[in-house]
Amino acid sequence: MTDFHPLVKQLLDGEVTLADLPPGLRAEGEEALRLLGAVHREPVTLPAALEAGVMTAVRHRAAAPSLWRRLTAPREVRLRVRPWTLAPALAAAAALALLLSPPRPEPKATTVTVRFVLFAPQAQQVALAGTFNQWDPAATPLVSTGASGIWTATLTLPAGEHQYAFVVDGARWVPDPAAPAVDDGFGRRNSVLTL
Amino acid sequence: MSGRDGADGAVVRAVLAGDTERYAELVRRYRDRYARYAAQMLGSVDAAEDAVQDAFVRAYDRLAECRDPDKFVGWFFLILRNRCFAEQRKNRASAPLEAADAVAAAGQPDGEMETAERRRALQRALLELTPEQREVFVLKHVEGLSYDEIAARVGTSVPSLKMRMHRAYDRLREQLKDRA
Repeated sequence: MTDFHPLVKQLLDGEVTLADLPPGLRAEGEEALRLLGAVHREPVTLPAALEAGVMTAVRHRAAAPSLWRRLTAPREVRLRVRPWTLAPALAAAAALALLLSPPRPEPKATTVTVRFVLFAPQAQQVALAGTFNQWDPAATPLVSTGASGIWTATLTLPAGEHQYAFVVDGARWVPDPAAPAVDDGFGRRNSVLTL
Repeated sequence: MSGRDGADGAVVRAVLAGDTERYAELVRRYRDRYARYAAQMLGSVDAAEDAVQDAFVRAYDRLAECRDPDKFVGWFFLILRNRCFAEQRKNRASAPLEAADAVAAAGQPDGEMETAERRRALQRALLELTPEQREVFVLKHVEGLSYDEIAARVGTSVPSLKMRMHRAYDRLREQLKDRA
């Protein structure tokens, strides 16, 4: 039998004192307090180099989010659009950046509601990654509008320039065919939206 | 807190707005806050250093998910805690006993051999507990938190924590008797 008596456990929890224990439990109580007396409580100080290590990783992510994502994503980017779906695809893509309504007509809006649209009939899931969500491909999923193959997401973004790409099936990074694009410095194209 | 250091919430919002360098303020502020917790949970200061560094990078990656930036440190603790638990599951079969000795001996004045030996024995016994049992023991008896404070921090009820702790007491007693 090695279990502490329930009263001794209360002693360890600080709910009773040794003097509160009946005489028959005092020795067990003292043994329990010796156990707590061996607890190591000295502060632990970590090396100052830890800060440099964290900030090196953080700067890398901040400076090259696309590169970071590319390291974990397949290199090949391919969005297959069948010829007979090209027309609706272009029509759907043209709806990109459809300005629904600024929150207020005046003063000048600081945020703008934008609808993103992608035609991707073969996709199982589509998401949006960009400067507005730290390029997190899990942060902003698009919703499929049924069997049409059209995926949409409506976001309210701060006024200014945003770069983004669609992420198809969690792996393929696809620039928006209907938006201007810029080189991301690593051989890929990011779409640009200016609000 | 001095200079341009601000409240946690202000720093988090500045980092999210693109001022990446200000993240260093949070690292400096909380680098050592949970170092002892991590060292006790993982059994070594080296492992704690790796865990804390990794937790800060993970926290940066997920900073936009920090719902209440003014409570950054509580949110960061949960990330570090997850990291510690994952590390322990990974290394369950090989408790770093030499490292446990290093934790127990850190800061130990010379000439207190008996105390040092009891510390080492307890440190080894702690590594035999489940991570959940070890955590509640460390938070209460090393960090000095009450059951209510632990419950608020890790999201477990006080009765569950007490049950976990009382099992830990029994297991520690058994371990220490085996070693005696």
